[in-house]
Order: sequence, then structure tokens, then C-alpha cells
Amino acid sequence: MTTRKPNTLSTRSTQVIVKFERVNKYFGALHVLNDINLEVLKNQVMVIIGPSGSGKSTLLRSINHLEKVESGHLFVNGKMVGYIEKDGKLLEDTDKNISRQRMEIGMVFQRFNLFPHLTAIENIMEAPIHVKKTSRKQAEEEAMQLLVRIGLTEKRDSYPNQLSGGQQQRIAIARALAMKPSLMLFDEPTSALDPEMIGEVLDVMKSLAHEMTMIVVSHEMGFARAAADRIIFMDEGSIIEDTTPEQLFANPKEERTRLFLSKILH
Amino acid sequence: MYNFDWQTFWNYLWPVTAFQNPLLRNGLIVTITVSILAQAAGVILGLFAALGRMSKIRFLRMVAGAYILYFRGTPLLVQMMLLYFGLGVMNIYDFPDIQLGFFTISGAIQAGFLALAINEGAYMAEIVRAGIESIDPGQSEAAKSLGMTPGQAMRRIILPQAIKVIIPPTGNEFNNMMKTTSIMVVISAGELFFAFTQINARIFKPFELFIAASFYYLALTSIWDIIQKRIEKSTEWGYASNKANTVQNGEAKTIKPPKTFDRLVRGH
Repeated sequence: MTTRKPNTLSTRSTQVIVKFERVNKYFGALHVLNDINLEVLKNQVMVIIGPSGSGKSTLLRSINHLEKVESGHLFVNGKMVGYIEKDGKLLEDTDKNISRQRMEIGMVFQRFNLFPHLTAIENIMEAPIHVKKTSRKQAEEEAMQLLVRIGLTEKRDSYPNQLSGGQQQRIAIARALAMKPSLMLFDEPTSALDPEMIGEVLDVMKSLAHEMTMIVVSHEMGFARAAADRIIFMDEGSIIEDTTPEQLFANPKEERTRLFLSKILH
Repeated sequence: MYNFDWQTFWNYLWPVTAFQNPLLRNGLIVTITVSILAQAAGVILGLFAALGRMSKIRFLRMVAGAYILYFRGTPLLVQMMLLYFGLGVMNIYDFPDIQLGFFTISGAIQAGFLALAINEGAYMAEIVRAGIESIDPGQSEAAKSLGMTPGQAMRRIILPQAIKVIIPPTGNEFNNMMKTTSIMVVISAGELFFAFTQINARIFKPFELFIAASFYYLALTSIWDIIQKRIEKSTEWGYASNKANTVQNGEAKTIKPPKTFDRLVRGH
């Protein structure tokens, strides 16, 4: 086992940031989230792997209420996300409250979803100015710091369609970071990228590890090994294994985990 | 054999001589003004109707749906006569003339404008909706994930992109609108075609006069064609097309959205 990173969960903060309590979700007859129980601790880096259709993206997207759930409780920073409980029943919260909760949760998408009508720096400044009501001057200063951090200062005035995929994804990460979230969700952040651009995005992600809580749906095992404290394997809507990357790669407990790993670890 | 009266034809075609006739002069002004105002009102109505149709609130969806269904599904001519004569007879509203300084805006013109605007709104609603739906849902998700409310996401992220999809068909709608104002003749609103029919009633030269009239509309729509092309070109900013973003002398050339547009749509 490597000693390079602070690995053992016990030595880390025990503050629970994300908590799933018996969460269920269906797409028609398909049980996409099957009684999920999960706790993610502060500043933990957790990677989720699993075959397509296993529910890993749905699990991630339900954390900031981009997906609704049918039953169970889901908390971020101790507050229920997207719902209020009334007489034992879950009711959807108001748009305003949901939006406020999402301010603390950054999200990075597979297909970047940068705003094409705004330049790189405008993409980063948009939410701080119009959601957080930060002054334009301060938002610009902070956006420039983020551009320095991701190494794209010279692209500040480029539009997304003038940037490579890797550059777009780095801007998208900066855009999420501009809201100073305590939790970052990454939904297959490198799977739409050409191979030569994956590294630059993973480098930015690695630099964030342990500065904030990160939940990453990704099959980049190199990233999991280097930066993750924890990895979960999902299949058919359930969490099958929940362990450290080293443990999972060395001796997976379940047969289907082993089978899946053999497919992605060519 | 009917002799084509070139003298009359030129007389009413050539603006210098034609506009000595106040009927025609005012008629042209009314046609242009009503077209612009009714189209503008139609765009605004259409925007609200489209948003209403996509609303989370069932009641709003129903109201917007009924509006679009009725006004797209019945003839404009009927709507206009219903509005002008029907409301008057029922003592609901009889469109009194409005005095504005030197101008008098007749009740018929008001009713004509209103009918055109409401009818146009129903068509614009579909255009706006198609524009909004053409935007990748990922845009709205990204906006929401940053803490924007659905309204903010619509105003600041979706509409500024949808507008590029909305502009070309809206230009065609305006072309149509200028021609369609001519049906205001049925309620004797003093627009361009009404002026020609009035002159015809006096001198009875329908062939010459109505050809001249048709050329006026042709001139209007041709001028609009040129303007529309310019507008569409000026909306090719930034991300619009790779054509607008060709790298010139090693420097990326980007067309910025016009500032007025920014203020209108994104409100800063």
C-alpha cells in the first residue's frame, strides 16, 4: 500500500457531508437505486465505478436533486436535499430552496455544458455575480485566480467552441469551483475527451483532492489509485463493494466486481 | 378590350405623386406602424405563452394551451371581425378613437392591431417553444447546478441561446405580418390596401390600382429581406458559427453580441 496519501478513513474527519438513508428510485419498472445507504465524510475523495446502467450517475445526480428519488432520505451537510418532510411524507421543496442548496454543491458534467454564449471568464463569473451577488470586480479577480490554477489564463476571452475538450472541461471545473462549494460531483468528467486530454483534467482534479469532498463517477483507475480514499462498485442499483482502491484492485470480494475490473483494467 | 391605363398606374405607383394623396400616405404609415407594433406585441405574447405552456403550474399550461389552440385554429379574418364588430355590438368594448396630439388612432386600427397581435402571439409561442426546446438540456442542468433558479436559468442561459433559433422564423413572420395587415380592409381600418380600395371606389381602375398596391407590399417585404439578413448576420456572434470565429492573422476573431441585446435579454 502506498503511504503517499493520507489514506485511512479513521485518521480523517468524521463529519458526514453526504448521507443516503434507504434511498430508492425507479425508472418505470427499473429499480435504478436500490435501497442505498451511504455516508461520505468531509474531504473524502470517493470514486464510483460500475457497468453502464448500474445507477452510478443517477446516484450522483440525486445528490444535487437533478434526479428525483422515490423514497428514503438524502442529506447534504445535514440538510435534506430537494425535499421537505411533512407528516411523514416527502414533498418537493421550493425552487428557491433547492437552488440555494445547490450553491454548495459543484458539479462537472461528462459533456462540459459550458455556456456557449459566454467567454471562458464569463462562464466562471456568471454564477458568483448573478447567484451569489458578488461584485463584478471581486468575481473577476477570483475567476482570474481560478484560471491561473487551471493554467488557462490566456484563454480568458475565448468562447467554448474555440477551446479543446480538455480546456473546456478545465473551465467547467473552474466554473463550479467559483461558487466555493464544499462538495464537488464529477459525472464521468473524462469520458468525452480524447485520450491525450484526459491527463490535464485529471491533474486539475487531483490538485483538488482533500481540499473538499469529491465524489467522482469515473473509470479512470489511475485517478482512483492516486487520489481516492474510497471506491464503491455499483451494479443493478446497489452498492456491491465499498472499500479502498488498493483493496478493490488487489482482492475484490465479489465475483462480479472481479469480472468488471478485468474488463476495464485491460 | 380593356386598355391598361398607364397614366393612372404610374401615378399611384410612383411615391412622389402617389403620396400627394393623404389616404395613401397615411395608409402606408399605418401599415408599417401596425406591422411593427403587432409583431413586437406578438413576440412578447408568444414568449409568455411559450413559458406558460412549459410551466410547472397546470393552470398556466391550460390557459396558454387554450390560447394557442384557439388563435392558431381559427381564421384571423374571423377573429378580427369578432373583435371589432362583435365586442362593440355586445357593448363589451367598442374601440373609441384615441386622440394623440395631431393624430387620431381610429377604433378600427386599434382593433386591427389587437387582432393581429393576439393572432401572431399564438404563432410566436410555437416558434419560441421550438427555440427553447432546441437548447441542450445540459445547459439548464449546468445552470441549476450552479444555484440558478429555473427562472434565472431561462433568462440568463436558455433564452440568450434560443434567440438565435427564434430570430430567422420571426423574420418570416414579420414578412407575413406586413402583407396580412391588408385584411384590416374588412373593418375599414385606414391602412395601405384600404386606401387603394377607396381610390378604386372613386375611379374604378382595379387592375392598375391593385397591381400598384401589390408593388408597395413587394417593396416593403424586399426592404425587410435586406434588414433581416443583416440582423441574422449580426447574431452570429461568438459561438454562433465557426464562420464567425475563423482565426485571422493568428488571432481568433470573435463577434461580440450587441450590448443592447445583452441588456434586453440578460438584463445587465
